Amino acid sequence: MNNSNESAEVCLVDDDPSVLRSMQYLLASDGLAVHAFNKPEDFLAHVSKNRVPVVVLDIWMEKITGLEVLARLCALSPKTRVIVITARDDLAARATAMAIGPVAFFIKPFNDEKFLTAVRAALAQAHNM
Amino acid sequence: MSERDEIDMKSGEHREAADPSREEQLSLLLTITMEVAAASDLASALDVVLRRVCEKTGWVLGQAWVPNQDGTVLECGPVCFCCGEGGLTKFRVASEGSHFRPGVGLPGRVWELKRPAWIEDVTQDPNFPRTKAAAKVGLKAAVGIPILSGDEVIAVIEFFVQESRAKNERLVNVIAAVAAQLGLVMERKRAEEKLSSTNEILQSILSSMGDAVIVADNEGKFLAFNPAAERMFGEGAAQTASSEWSHQYGLYLPDKVTPFPPDQLPLTRSIRGEEVNNVEIFVRHDKAPQGLWTRINGRPLRGSNGELSGGVIVCRDITEIKKEEFFLFDQSRVLEMIAANASLAEVLTSLVLLMEGQADGLRCSILVLNQDGKHVRHGAAPNLPAAYVKAVDGAPIGPRNGSCGTAMYLRRQVVVKDVLTDPLWADYRKLAEICGLRACWSTPILSPHGEVLGSFAMYRQETRGPHPEELRLTQIATHIAGIAIERQRAQETLRERDARINLAAESADLAFWVIYPEQNTAWMSDKGRKMYGFDSKLPLTRDLICGRVHPDERAAVHAAFDRACASHGLFESEHRLILPYGKTRWVIVRGRCLEDEHGSLLELIGVTIDVSAQKQSELQLQIQREEMSHLNRVALMGEMTASVAHELNQPLTAIANNASAARRFLERGNIDPVLLQQLLQDMVADSQRAGEVIRGIRALVRKDKTVVRSALNLNAVIADTLRLVSSDIVLRESVVITEMDHSLPQVEAVPVQIQQVLLNLIMNALDAVESRPPAERRILINTRSLNGESAEVSVRDFGTGLPQDRPDKVFDHFFSTKQTGMGMGLTIVRSIIETHGGKISAENAPDHGARFFFQLPAARGDSKSQAA
Repeated sequence: MNNSNESAEVCLVDDDPSVLRSMQYLLASDGLAVHAFNKPEDFLAHVSKNRVPVVVLDIWMEKITGLEVLARLCALSPKTRVIVITARDDLAARATAMAIGPVAFFIKPFNDEKFLTAVRAALAQAHNM
Repeated sequence: MSERDEIDMKSGEHREAADPSREEQLSLLLTITMEVAAASDLASALDVVLRRVCEKTGWVLGQAWVPNQDGTVLECGPVCFCCGEGGLTKFRVASEGSHFRPGVGLPGRVWELKRPAWIEDVTQDPNFPRTKAAAKVGLKAAVGIPILSGDEVIAVIEFFVQESRAKNERLVNVIAAVAAQLGLVMERKRAEEKLSSTNEILQSILSSMGDAVIVADNEGKFLAFNPAAERMFGEGAAQTASSEWSHQYGLYLPDKVTPFPPDQLPLTRSIRGEEVNNVEIFVRHDKAPQGLWTRINGRPLRGSNGELSGGVIVCRDITEIKKEEFFLFDQSRVLEMIAANASLAEVLTSLVLLMEGQADGLRCSILVLNQDGKHVRHGAAPNLPAAYVKAVDGAPIGPRNGSCGTAMYLRRQVVVKDVLTDPLWADYRKLAEICGLRACWSTPILSPHGEVLGSFAMYRQETRGPHPEELRLTQIATHIAGIAIERQRAQETLRERDARINLAAESADLAFWVIYPEQNTAWMSDKGRKMYGFDSKLPLTRDLICGRVHPDERAAVHAAFDRACASHGLFESEHRLILPYGKTRWVIVRGRCLEDEHGSLLELIGVTIDVSAQKQSELQLQIQREEMSHLNRVALMGEMTASVAHELNQPLTAIANNASAARRFLERGNIDPVLLQQLLQDMVADSQRAGEVIRGIRALVRKDKTVVRSALNLNAVIADTLRLVSSDIVLRESVVITEMDHSLPQVEAVPVQIQQVLLNLIMNALDAVESRPPAERRILINTRSLNGESAEVSVRDFGTGLPQDRPDKVFDHFFSTKQTGMGMGLTIVRSIIETHGGKISAENAPDHGARFFFQLPAARGDSKSQAA
């Protein structure tokens, strides 16, 4: 489902398979190429080898918390734009995530238009750099 | 003994001498026989023989020898015949001074041999101790003859003559014949003498004996009627027909009024040939107007051939015995009155009358000591003046308070011989004088424990002290009165207790009932009938009673009854009663079986307690508990926000995303139908997932009115619960480790409640580890089977631990270590576990952190279900 821009790939990390798939469909429906990761460690491995302009990251996962992934991502690929999604409106989590530097923060379930706009904005920023 | 002196009756020599002729001998024999027969005794008969023989034969001296009393020697009898010559008396004197043992001298020889002996010349005879005396008076020949009675020598007669004579056989024979006659006569005489002396003895016995003896021949003519009989029957032997005896002698049946049937009189029966034993007859006549009692034995009299010749009766006066018997009988009647719960006044009055009846002129009274121990109450005094009784009633006891008051005070018998002079009677003297009382002896009535119960007094109109008989009566009277008074006190106590029990039963809503299984009948107290809604007159049965039991519980109650009846054991049940008009009561019924002396079931007795009110509050309490429990679950939900939000938001997000994607694809017009189908399928699956989550949460927070227990595997419940809180565990960066025992028995429990317990414990544990570094935020949950009888669950954290002094305090109401906690969680947890028949404890783990563990009993028949 890659669209015209091969490099304009969006990575997606969520340990919930159904959420992960629905996110994939949503991004694809907007013509975005998606690389989905069910396991955060797979994503981190991918990041270490590939340029990842944008990642949509669930910060609440079983094995490794999204915040940890976020922290390691900053180290591995500081330029990657991060969009955080969470099922729980946790003030502490939001504050921490924002401090580390994601570009957007969405609480599940979220508005699809705003979300896709945020993704596109992030992609644009990545291209412009 | 000299051989030659013995006489050979057959071959003896004959010597012609001045012997009587044959005719003379015969006439002698005849004369003597007649005279001897007429003789009144042995002495006069001997006198006849001695004299006649001498007269007819010319022998000059005849004497008789008689054995002494003990039969050892012959003594010279008082009778002798001397034919007038003075010289012979010398020999007589010598004889009188002699006595012969058997074989010694002529008499001894005859005595021993029991045969006549002849001596030709006594002076020449070596065995004749009286030789010298004989020689002096010139006596020569002698003959001795035995007088035999049967085989016994009763006398020896000897004759002497003053010339030597050869043995004259004929003479000897004649004398022997006379002697034989004499023997026969003597034998008869002696028998007569003996008989007459026996008669005398009998007569003397009869006259002196205390028992009456009456002998009658078979015509009913009295042969003997001893003085005792005359005294007993009022007059002596009367020549009346036996049919008149009862009337004549005043003979009655034991009822004292019915004349004794003449044909049944003991003497009449004896004469008829019957043996009569111990017939009691009441006798009353002019000389014994009070009457007397006699006990009679009778025997028939029979002749030598066994023919009936009459009857004899012996009558013993048993009046005293009877009196004692009646006295004892009357005593037992008083005791029976006591046993039959007659009133104390009745019993004591009977007792006083009984005692008064035992002696003339005796009046008695009984006083009862008040419970205060200081005053007397009237007990019984039926024959004392009413004024006197009234004056004594309520009087105090004391050291100088008449006979009775003093006796009770001093606890010993007080004998006042004269009330008019005795200082003890100072206060009552005037009254006693008016009432005609002179002596008064009072004895305290004591209980077996020595407690003074009252006094028994005897009054007399003469001045004297008590006789031994009166002391005996006093002893009996105080004993019986003691029993009566004590019994009455015991019954009063019992009545009071009964009343108290009834009162308690009434106020405790207790109903009594008895079921008689044999008769299929039942009894119920008024309270019970009210409780069960039975009319007061309706005859009851077990089925009727059980019919009031709520239909849901009736079979169980019947079964419990049957069990109790079969085992003769206890019955206990808690159930509902449905009364007419639909009212419901909660009751607890307890009963037990009673057996008769053979161990067979007699009845089932028991009580029913109305516990509706308690039950109501219990139900209310349960509702409150439910409410609290529900609030706790709602609160838990609040604490589990992360999990709830996450669990719900995940599927909702997926649905929203898929829907958005589908819309976009459609808008763009390049939708792949397969993709669209996939999107829709995902949406359905996610909405179902959301529904599951909501159902789970609803189950937890729902107000469930029916709390149905089911067999649960606690391992599964733990897994479900952990899933529910997994988000919170993750969020709090904690780890839960489980160690499950797969042989854990199932428990019977309400699933939601057990989940609630686990949630409380897990959330607490998460709180406890919150302050620790993430690496130490561990929670350990394990399960184990306790011998298959119960399942244990342990939730252990590595947090700060529980209060050191009393870890169990955490279960108390409102105990909380959390700023926001209500302090109700663990209280509810404990309540849930205990409602399930389990137990929960808390302790500090050895290293650090707290451990909560609870046990629940294994479900009944669990081992089977597992095996199947």
